[in-house]
Amino acid sequence: MIKKIIIFLILFNSASFFSSEVNIYTSRHYDSDEILYKEFTKKTGIKINIISGNGSALLERLKSESDNTLADIFFTVDAGNLWKIQKEGFFQPIRSQKIKDQVPLNLRGPNNEWVAIAKRARVIFYNPQIISEQDIKGLSYQDLASEKWKGKIAIRSSNNIYNQSLVASMIVKYGIEFTEDWARKLVSNFSRKPQGNDRAQIIAVANQEADIAIANSYYYGLMLSGLKGEEQQAAAKKVRMFFPNQETEGTHINISGLGIIRTSKNVENAHKFIEFLLSDKLQQSIVSNSFEYPIAKNVEPHPLILEAGINFKEDTISVSEYGEYNAEAVRLMDRVGWK
Amino acid sequence: MKVLAKNYYIFWKVFPIFLCAIFISPILIILSSLLGNFSENWVHLYNYVLFEYFSNTLILVLGVGSLSLIIGSLTAWIVTTYNFFGKRIFEWSLILPLSIPPYILAYTFTGLFDSYGTVNNLLRDILNLSSSYIFFPNVRNIYGAIIVFSFTLYPYVYLICRSAFLNQSKAMLETGRVLGLNKLQIFSRLALPMIRPAAIAGVMLVVMETVSDFGAVEHFAVQTFTTGIFRTWYGMYDLHTAMQLASLLLVFVLTFVFIERNSRKNATYASMASRSDPDKPELKTGIASFFCFLACLIPIFIGFILPIMELSIWALNYNLSFFNENFLVQTLNTLYVSLIAAFLCTLFALLVNFSARFNESKFIARTDTFLSLGYAVPGLILAIGIVQIFTILDSTILKNSQFFITGSLIGLIFAYIVKSYALSSSTIESGFERINLKLDDSARVLKSSGINLMLRVHYPLLKTSLLTSLLLVMAEAVKELPATLVLRPFNFDTLAVSTYIYAAEERMYEAASPAIAIVLIGLIPILILTQMIRKSRYTNH
Repeated sequence: MIKKIIIFLILFNSASFFSSEVNIYTSRHYDSDEILYKEFTKKTGIKINIISGNGSALLERLKSESDNTLADIFFTVDAGNLWKIQKEGFFQPIRSQKIKDQVPLNLRGPNNEWVAIAKRARVIFYNPQIISEQDIKGLSYQDLASEKWKGKIAIRSSNNIYNQSLVASMIVKYGIEFTEDWARKLVSNFSRKPQGNDRAQIIAVANQEADIAIANSYYYGLMLSGLKGEEQQAAAKKVRMFFPNQETEGTHINISGLGIIRTSKNVENAHKFIEFLLSDKLQQSIVSNSFEYPIAKNVEPHPLILEAGINFKEDTISVSEYGEYNAEAVRLMDRVGWK
Repeated sequence: MKVLAKNYYIFWKVFPIFLCAIFISPILIILSSLLGNFSENWVHLYNYVLFEYFSNTLILVLGVGSLSLIIGSLTAWIVTTYNFFGKRIFEWSLILPLSIPPYILAYTFTGLFDSYGTVNNLLRDILNLSSSYIFFPNVRNIYGAIIVFSFTLYPYVYLICRSAFLNQSKAMLETGRVLGLNKLQIFSRLALPMIRPAAIAGVMLVVMETVSDFGAVEHFAVQTFTTGIFRTWYGMYDLHTAMQLASLLLVFVLTFVFIERNSRKNATYASMASRSDPDKPELKTGIASFFCFLACLIPIFIGFILPIMELSIWALNYNLSFFNENFLVQTLNTLYVSLIAAFLCTLFALLVNFSARFNESKFIARTDTFLSLGYAVPGLILAIGIVQIFTILDSTILKNSQFFITGSLIGLIFAYIVKSYALSSSTIESGFERINLKLDDSARVLKSSGINLMLRVHYPLLKTSLLTSLLLVMAEAVKELPATLVLRPFNFDTLAVSTYIYAAEERMYEAASPAIAIVLIGLIPILILTQMIRKSRYTNH
């Protein structure tokens, strides 16, 4: 009996029965991702093995496994996370020219260690019943520090990486001093102590608990779609999405992306997987499930997101800089009392 | 014969220490971070946030500790001393909130009580009021967190207190009554102080789980030590400082434990009679019965019925497709690992505690406390400690084998044991405390020692404690362990994993189905335990 158990345990341990496979560590958890993995296997015959989990913790596992790791790909959201892995030297440069042609320079690692497969914008939501289009026209992140917005802004906690990336990008562009001053004023304009996720901020605006909210673009599509229940759908219908900084550097962008692990034993398959994700068909399927913006040029975002406007001006700062200034951003937010 | 006895003696001394050494290693890895350099992030933490982390954690611990003590001991007292309407159901259903992880209750709370949550909307609809009218105050604060932790974790106190009350000498309580104490005084001045070790053990478990929690406090926007640990790790990319913060937390918990241990150094709590006279519980009718009923119903309602209702609504509205063949696999995986973990953990705790008693060894008793610390470590930090230990093992002992413990099921079960050892140990320890030491002496005179003493004398008396330990570890392993996420093999999903990865992003609709499945599976050991407790009581009487 004990022998049997041990054999069973050992068998379970190794994922590698298939000659052709690719092993993925992922911190993206969308049901739609699973469909996409299945489709890949169907098309190429390459089996996909998954461990999904917290990004930072998976990175620690990767570090400890070091050269023994079975992982071929690390798949995650937010450029800061990708940068961390790259910084530790766990990625190898992506060689496929096809991939490089498709992904703009600012959405890749400095030496193509990782690439984006979809992007999201950190935008402003407002309630047209309180805020007129005139009020919000030409608004920038910087303007949110103005006295005019005292007690009117809803945004989530600074524990959240989306906020950390936004602040990091401000530091890159305007320096610490300016950003700290801006953040301090922004915090004094909060309508309440930061709480809840991005959707909770949008709901707060719909319920007039705040005049404007800062949240990620795809949540709007997700809520409008009704996938999150009728109440959230109704709330989303009450608000409008607005792209800040259109008259200056453009709206803050972040990505979902992935890279190939240095010691990967399935480099070819890994490349195939990334190319697959960037194919028009898959891009279409990704954006219609996750409401993110596509990387492929021929693909349009989901109609619900499209409504909010397309061809808006994106900030072209390299997303890899977010990671570099993330720690600085967190300390800055501590200093200004952004909970 | 003499030689054999000596070998026995050595075995009971050496084996537990060997076990401890293995299981304590991840905790030591975490603590060893204190020996390293202190980065400049410490200056930052000290200047801006450390005080807040500390004070919030302290308020939380004091609040949750006292509230769960009140709920747990009071309900335990009511169901053991009184006979009232619904008592037989309450006896076991008071454990039910254990199957709800605190973060899930936190999410359902905001779903229900947010300004535009289910309850406020419902009340507005019923009373036909405008949408600006809000009944329930915001729950997203430290008070909300105290309520959430207390109502999901009080069963630890309840379980341990209840079995202690069952074994309490009724003669003593009678004496109290004769001497003029009223009913409340008998409870608060006699019955409760007499089971102090048990009550404290329960509260310690509650406190440890509270300080290690991340999900619920994060959701309620309360900055505690643990949110600080993760902020430092994820945000400042400073795992080393994060581990130092975690160690500091452990040092606090340890201090607590030792203060408590010292304060009862000279008191012995082992009761003179190992079992009480089967005194008939006092029958309550009318108003008194109603109050007993209410006192037991409220905790179950808040900690179990309410969240289950909200979860069911979410699941029905959203994601019933979760219940497919994948679900079956996940359920089997969950049962499989949690059963093995529960069994091994209970066995180890029994061996260690028996050995501490048998040898009267202070050293082993101390290591036991250290081992229990695993429960107070935030899950992912513990996972890092374990991953680092495995790395050492993989690159030394296992270097030439094809087997890597990292990413194996053995590793996963190891993690469960380190995390839940405190649950087993505290239950079994309080079980041992109730067995009179004279019994051991008598047994020894009759030449029963070692394995024989454990199996033939202690085991029958500890049965309930052992079952409770199995149940607690299983419930813990079933419901949550973020460590699973990092340590598991490829494609190995459990129900907790499914719940957690959805809930981590507050996608509660998706998380609802697996969460309900966890509750259903958690019910299995609870029901079995109830039956066994009941049976054992009848056969004893």
